[in-house]
Amino acid sequence: MSKSYAQRHGLKSLGVGIGLRRPFYEQLPLTERTLDWVEIIPENFLTIGGQPQRVLDACAERWKLLPHGVGLNIGGPDALDEDYVTRLTALVRRVDAPFFSDHLCYSRLGGVYLHDLLPLPFNEEAVEHVVPRVREVKERVGRPFLLENPSYYARMPGGTLAEADFLRHVAEQADCGLLLDVNNVYVNARNHGYDPRAFIDALPLERVVQTHLAGHLRREDVIIDTHGAEVCDEVWQLYRYVVERTGPVSTLIEWDQDIPSMEAVLDQADLARAAMGEVAR
Amino acid sequence: MKPGLKSFFDSMEAYLAAPGGLRRLQAAHPGWDAAPARVALYGDFVRYHVRSTLEKLFPLTQASVTPERWAELVRDYDATQPGRHYEMNRMGEGFPGFVADVTAARGLPEFVPALARFEWADWAVYVSEEQVPSRVERLTVNPTLTVLQHPFRLVPYIHAKGQGPTPAPGEELLLVWRHPEQLRTWFMAGHERALLAVKMALEGLSAGDVVAATGLAQAVVQQALAECTGNGLLLAP
Repeated sequence: MSKSYAQRHGLKSLGVGIGLRRPFYEQLPLTERTLDWVEIIPENFLTIGGQPQRVLDACAERWKLLPHGVGLNIGGPDALDEDYVTRLTALVRRVDAPFFSDHLCYSRLGGVYLHDLLPLPFNEEAVEHVVPRVREVKERVGRPFLLENPSYYARMPGGTLAEADFLRHVAEQADCGLLLDVNNVYVNARNHGYDPRAFIDALPLERVVQTHLAGHLRREDVIIDTHGAEVCDEVWQLYRYVVERTGPVSTLIEWDQDIPSMEAVLDQADLARAAMGEVAR
Repeated sequence: MKPGLKSFFDSMEAYLAAPGGLRRLQAAHPGWDAAPARVALYGDFVRYHVRSTLEKLFPLTQASVTPERWAELVRDYDATQPGRHYEMNRMGEGFPGFVADVTAARGLPEFVPALARFEWADWAVYVSEEQVPSRVERLTVNPTLTVLQHPFRLVPYIHAKGQGPTPAPGEELLLVWRHPEQLRTWFMAGHERALLAVKMALEGLSAGDVVAATGLAQAVVQQALAECTGNGLLLAP
């Protein structure tokens, strides 16, 4: 049996983490609650000074930090942002992250950052475009790199591949890991009418190194991936389905809008830890 | 990049630069059956990021104009495509200048550009990469200090969180800095005592020098120094 991506890179499950968000800057470094690792959005720490720098350093003394970017623009038409990649590399090394991640999407057009994660067409042209960029980033940063399956609300024109095949082709050809956002799987499955379990089964699960759990917003005609609520029952069930197949995997509770108390986010992390423990038992 | 993918990006760029062009976008891709309302979400999201970022960075500026004027400012600033940096908040960097350019033509209150400039400085100082030394050999000006000068008395208005009377005309030096321990932004009007203390730090003057040169009482000079080192404007050995 061939080794998984994590095994090839000596990566083990770090347990369950939460994100370092501004409302938590004062409390998080001091918490006595169980917390296994901390996610950081690198864009918030690439030009760093003052309180963000102090908080980052305090967290790095207690936990592993995993940078999860939103601005790499790995799928976009513009060349990779030299300043961004240079600073990202410095940050990853500064916090000694075992790996780092971003999204399989584009976020910049014509030199303008859109500050959103826009979906690519699922086709071979996009695969050919993304793969060398992933390889370049991996080489420059020098650490294992994961791509996240993004949520999307409309299939982009020109798509010829199934979504899972698109992810597989990119991950295998670029030889990167996957960050499986379970909430995104649920949101996409509901919005596009497919079976989330069949989608998961079609993924190269041996490349999954991390998972995300989050809440979403249900509108009448569409579910929006807001990261602004508790994880719903269906996503918890899907998470268990994933962990049954991947084994224990580093898991993040993502909460980025309508952020509640840190204790409430840590409560969700406790639930994830318990679920992972039960499934993996 | 293959032509098909380039064409896709070109069409999305045109759409997102002027999100009214949803029909044009769909016409560029015959056979694309995505629901227009779903595609339009992306234009909504991108505009939302600009609006919410400006509202976060410039709450007093927003409160100082009518909702309609604010909506126009955001819309027209968005049209300048301000997202040139990967850090989202940096899209607000050009907003004070933009506001200054349109204030007269739109009949905005005259103090609004100065207020916007202060709010940007407040953020920029908070995240400044300037390293504040933990120890100094001599009286030193906090390296994060930013000095703003404008023809309005903004400080009472800012202290009142925009709820007080409209800022009165009058020259004001506004000092903004990051407290070295608290790491929060502090600000105050540059009154004579504070400016004297800053001058002493910049020119290496002792209290005795100042007393001899100005005739001020020693206690006044010492009080100015104590105040400015206590609030972190100056760093003392």
